[in-house]
Amino acid sequence: MKLVIDEERCKGCNLCTMVCPYRIFRPGTRANRKGILVPELDRPERCTNCRLNRLYGRTLCGICQLTCPDQAISWVDEKPYEPVRMEVEY
Amino acid sequence: MTFETWLRADRLPHIWCSGCSNGTILNCTLTAVDDLGLDPDRTVFVGGIGCSSRSVGYVATDSLHTTHGRALAFATGVKLADPTLNVLVFTGDGDLAAIGGNHFIHSCRRNIDLTVVCMNNLIYGMTGGQGSPTTPPGALSTTTPYGASEPAFDLAQLAVAAGANYVARWTSYHVRELERAIRAGIETPGLSFIEVRASCPTNYGRRNRLRDVTDQIEIFRTRSMLKAKYDRLVAAGSPVPPDAIVVGEFVRRANPVMGVPP
Ligand SMILES: Cc1ncc(C[n+]2csc(CCOP(=O)(O)OP(=O)(O)O)c2C)c(N)n1
Ligand code: SF4
Ligand code: SF4
Ligand code: SF4
Repeated sequence: MKLVIDEERCKGCNLCTMVCPYRIFRPGTRANRKGILVPELDRPERCTNCRLNRLYGRTLCGICQLTCPDQAISWVDEKPYEPVRMEVEY
Repeated sequence: MTFETWLRADRLPHIWCSGCSNGTILNCTLTAVDDLGLDPDRTVFVGGIGCSSRSVGYVATDSLHTTHGRALAFATGVKLADPTLNVLVFTGDGDLAAIGGNHFIHSCRRNIDLTVVCMNNLIYGMTGGQGSPTTPPGALSTTTPYGASEPAFDLAQLAVAAGANYVARWTSYHVRELERAIRAGIETPGLSFIEVRASCPTNYGRRNRLRDVTDQIEIFRTRSMLKAKYDRLVAAGSPVPPDAIVVGEFVRRANPVMGVPP
């Protein structure tokens, strides 16, 4: 699962930056089309729900989603991780 | 399923200000009804007038946006007309305790089977920040420019004294606890009253040196005191911080109720 913020709904209140135990949400710095500083995601793959939702078959943690007053936080399906072999020549 | 399925997505984004707690409380309430597996076709939301009461307009079930202060009167009518419906009420401190004060105490007295979620932001938000019956002494509002001089209502204690079967208080910071309390409220027959301390950054925060959206939430986080601890302090005669917000379950009892199917 991948954590996403809906830019059409977010009003930039920064409450998500306050509640996430991993501090995944960082206050935004660039204004979007509506002039809102949408928070930036710092390594969102650390999120409990991103990692374990599949395994447990339910939402885990989810505090940011419950807290977000603008219903802007959700998770979208992601293609399963495919290992890629890379060879680096020196 | 999540609370998203209970929302009228076409109405979003909603009208509330950035960081207003009403959205959080709406999420928690809809998560509670979703977790309980209530049937959206058999669930009705009723609200009065105010920013908080507007919540009903964002719910995908049947909902009534009624007149100021009369949400409980309308909800009583709905419940008595068809006691098999699940009826939830969204209201604000002004709507519930000022103009609707009598409906509030008498609904508790009758113990009618409703779940009432009061978004108590200590002010009249929608009309521009006038003082309400829950504005704490000293707080600034447009009608108390030198600081409120009257004592404030404790809504949870009022509901307990008036006879409600389930009473709890949480804040919009305590999202999980709040969701659990609303679930318990829906499951308890009789009137269930859940007071939620809510932030109003625009009209309360701005006038009371809580300018940032996160300031009021920080107060909820740091000044909340569990009911059990509060009771312990009182029993021991120890001092209780005057600005403590007592949170937790106040009462859960099985007094005779009105409006449940025979
Ligand atoms: C009969 C009547 N009187 C007054 C008003 C004006 N009015 C609209 S909302 C409101 C206050 C709402 O305050 P509250 O219930 O605390 O809700 P909030 O906006 O703070 O969420 C008032 C007085 C009205 N709409 N109808
Ligand atoms: S809590 Fe929601 S609305 Fe507020 S900044 Fe975060 S994503 Fe945006
Ligand atoms: S679900 Fe929990 S861990 Fe994941 S981003 Fe939200 S608050 Fe952080
Ligand atoms: S005025 Fe206050 S209660 Fe109304 S939407 Fe704005 S922040 Fe929320």
